[in-house]
Amino acid sequence: MVVVERKELSFLERIYFPAILKGLKITMSKMFAPRFTRQYPEEPLPTNEVTRGQPRLAVNPDDTIRCVSCGLCEAACPAYAITIDGHETERFIEREPERFDIDMLRCILCGFCEEACPKDAIYMSNELELADFSRAALVYDIEKLKRPVSALQDRIDYVKKINDRWQTSSST
Amino acid sequence: MTKIILNGREVEADPKKPLIAACHANDAEVPHYCYHAGLTPVGSCRMCQVEVKQGEMPPRVVAACRTPVAEGMIVDTESPKAHETRRECLEFLLKNHPLDCPICDKAGECMLQDFTFDEGQAAARTDEPRRKLEKRKDLGDVIVLDQERCILCSRCVRFFDEVTGKMQLVIADRGAHSVVETFADRPLTGNYQGNVADLCPVGALTLKPFRFKARVWNLFKKASTCGECSRGCSITTEVLRGDEVKRFRPRYNADVNTWWMCDTGRFAFEHPNRADRLAGGQRRGYADSELISTEEALDQLADALGEHRAPVVIASPFLTVEEGAELLELCKQLGSEARFLSPAPNELGDEILHTGDPCPNRRGLTELGFAPVEAAEALELLAASKAALLVGERIGELVGTEGLAGLPTSLQLYVFDTNACLAPAAQLSIGVPDHTERLGTWVNVDGHRGKISAARSAPAGVRPLTSSLQTLRASIAGAEVTA
Repeated sequence: MVVVERKELSFLERIYFPAILKGLKITMSKMFAPRFTRQYPEEPLPTNEVTRGQPRLAVNPDDTIRCVSCGLCEAACPAYAITIDGHETERFIEREPERFDIDMLRCILCGFCEEACPKDAIYMSNELELADFSRAALVYDIEKLKRPVSALQDRIDYVKKINDRWQTSSST
Repeated sequence: MTKIILNGREVEADPKKPLIAACHANDAEVPHYCYHAGLTPVGSCRMCQVEVKQGEMPPRVVAACRTPVAEGMIVDTESPKAHETRRECLEFLLKNHPLDCPICDKAGECMLQDFTFDEGQAAARTDEPRRKLEKRKDLGDVIVLDQERCILCSRCVRFFDEVTGKMQLVIADRGAHSVVETFADRPLTGNYQGNVADLCPVGALTLKPFRFKARVWNLFKKASTCGECSRGCSITTEVLRGDEVKRFRPRYNADVNTWWMCDTGRFAFEHPNRADRLAGGQRRGYADSELISTEEALDQLADALGEHRAPVVIASPFLTVEEGAELLELCKQLGSEARFLSPAPNELGDEILHTGDPCPNRRGLTELGFAPVEAAEALELLAASKAALLVGERIGELVGTEGLAGLPTSLQLYVFDTNACLAPAAQLSIGVPDHTERLGTWVNVDGHRGKISAARSAPAGVRPLTSSLQTLRASIAGAEVTA
């Protein structure tokens, strides 16, 4: 049998008041300190070029998609979120995606697709919000994924900077 | 057999074959582009260079595909000198090769990609622009040529010359201007064009029906047998995402087809990819047909067959030996004669591979004891009978849906088929897996046993024909016992 010996409270502790004052002091000091919480849906999260948001496909200013459906992002994806089917085009770049689905419920925003892409076509955008009423609606198709290059420019520059740090110069 | 010393190990080599064959047979990897075991070696790519010491001569680097095997030869495939020579050759091959691997269909099974990964250097040392040539040269119905990707190994040229006997492709012009072309831009002809796309070590020759359709590493590959003629070529069935058959490719089999197959078999995925597959059972009602489960359909079929004396049984020529044996037992039980439908030979037969006989298992079924009937004969038999059982893959379209529509309405027709083309005419139709979805054996025209294997699963609810027939036999036997 365990006997717990209770500590006798001192007089100040028994009158309770100093403890209340101590608490109030913290409350008061925080009341006038700068706030770091956010009114989230109204006030969006701050993002910058390092933000690894949802992957998006870059579309050139002449309205052609950069992706050639080579399937490297599909192969690199550790969550099997990407499904691509290609088809032939009349352009000089002979191939483009016919179907490019990313299951956003599977996507873990790891950025492997961006790293694997040999054509600078897929980038982790600064878009973070993901909510819908059905699972099917969260499998994004190519139309939902397309973004103009201008919208992704900050990230494109950032990725280029990071890659240049690792790559040796090459004429190819 | 000649004895040579390969990488410090004494091995036996076939003196009739070039040195590279001996290296490959003894697990010494030698990269090569122009060499192919089925074609005459020409030594144009120079990628198979190995160091050879013979007699008193100092060791030197030679092309293994053009060097005959000699007694006492000392071969080193991994010497620094051999590696350096190969790397330099590869650099020249890559000088004009475009960097479009992300677009190229060959990526993933490309020999240039593989050997560059092993031997080559990542960066080019030249600042000269690459050669600009025709990217999309149409060579007939099957092949598209990309002259920029071509490394001029001349495998395709030799294939047409040596295997089909018609030299349709040539290397035109000289030196740095060389390109692969057809004479006077005539399209390629013949039933064996597709093989050059397999032969091409790079992505220069691509198949039109497969162009940009799938990435090769996404295809599930399964060794199987072609069902387009009684030759039964060994093939690989390649399926994308467990669903659609994307290509059939030849698989080396010294007894049947060696390295080749015909285009008829290569592009025969129209049938496996049909949309109107029968899944489970289908019963014809007064107004509309009604979908039921396979088990329910088999029960009803057993009841229906029990009422008739000796219904006409006609099997499909696609039936495997195993299914044939099972059906033969059923025929004995019903007192019917076992027949299989043998469509008339087509004009596709040639002296290379295609036999012209569209029954892949004619020999197997005949040896089991099935009698061949032509479609017209089959229709006469059906018209004269009260009940009939048609069994096997594609049986409906082979008998002919128009012919069956003209039969008297008193005929009770029961069908096991892959697709639903007979469902409106038949009392009961039950789905069976097709030859990309089941296991079995076909015996080809020379008696060679070709295994077919399942590269994908059958539609939900479809049972293998052997198991359906076993159930059917058991319930008919059970009904007789109780009666």
